Amino acid sequence: MKQWIVRAVLLGALAALGYWLWTIFFPNPEKVIRNRIQEVARLASFSSNEGALAKLSNAQKLSSCVADNVEIQVEFQRHSERIFSGRDDVLQACVAARNLAGGLTVEFPDVVVTLHPGKESATAEVTLRAQIQGERDYIVQELKIEFVKIGGEWLIRRAETVRTLQ
Amino acid sequence: MSEQAPANPNWARILLIGRNPAWTAVRIAILVIVTIVVSKFVLIPIRVEGVSMLPTYRQGKINFVNALVYRSHEPQRGDVISIRMAGMRVMLLKRVVGLPGEVIAFRNGQLWIDGSPVPEPYVKFPCNWQMDPEQIGPDEFYVVGDNRSMPQSDHTQGLAKRKRIVGKVLL
Repeated sequence: MKQWIVRAVLLGALAALGYWLWTIFFPNPEKVIRNRIQEVARLASFSSNEGALAKLSNAQKLSSCVADNVEIQVEFQRHSERIFSGRDDVLQACVAARNLAGGLTVEFPDVVVTLHPGKESATAEVTLRAQIQGERDYIVQELKIEFVKIGGEWLIRRAETVRTLQ
Repeated sequence: MSEQAPANPNWARILLIGRNPAWTAVRIAILVIVTIVVSKFVLIPIRVEGVSMLPTYRQGKINFVNALVYRSHEPQRGDVISIRMAGMRVMLLKRVVGLPGEVIAFRNGQLWIDGSPVPEPYVKFPCNWQMDPEQIGPDEFYVVGDNRSMPQSDHTQGLAKRKRIVGKVLL
């Protein structure tokens, strides 16, 4: 009887290990997109003492998360709108932001991913929470991000701000 | 015939894990499950960030959102509600001032509903906001913060869809 219990426990452990390895080698697209969003948050964050080389390197890494033909539409306080088109435009904006602001912390506490049929594209609804170094208040903004799978990588094809209140 | 005196119970152990450790474990498990369910679906804990609800709610204050209250009735004018964004970890905290079907306006800081001024005792700071009359849709509520001393352009306010309203702030 005892031997059976040991065997069952070992079988369970083996199945769990197999499942874990399966998720490592064949990750769920939703999980990959979530990881990509957290990577964007990490790369978009910077401190005031970030060196010039690190600034450029991190901005380049951030721009590598977007597709060549990316379009990012940002609405500021309902009054003005800015559209960034293409990877180069995004790279320039990232470098400019790093030079202007003293430091920035970016988080995406809420992420809802919806995979489209065919699993080659997806939409993520996220809440952005950012804090400029030295400021007390957070910037909170809802975003809609569209991902496409290009060359096995999930890249941002389009991003836009969403009005929580109309 | 002699009776052996019971050994002195270890009170520290009893206090920590009870007389019956198995039942204590079951009780702890039930308590954890109930706490998780209640804090996710019934009374959602929140921490206030920002200044838009001053002076009613100050920065850092802990509160709870009653997520069941609007199952029996719709939000009322004056209710402080939480509005979900992409998820429930970050929500907006605002006061309902306009109800579905009403026409809302601000004139020199005074709230007007359907052409009549509406008193707002919770607004303590001076305000000079102006907003032309706006029709509220059938499934919408006009929400705004209590701190009207800040510039209108910096204050997040507007129409909240009913499906985005999570619940009413408890305290």
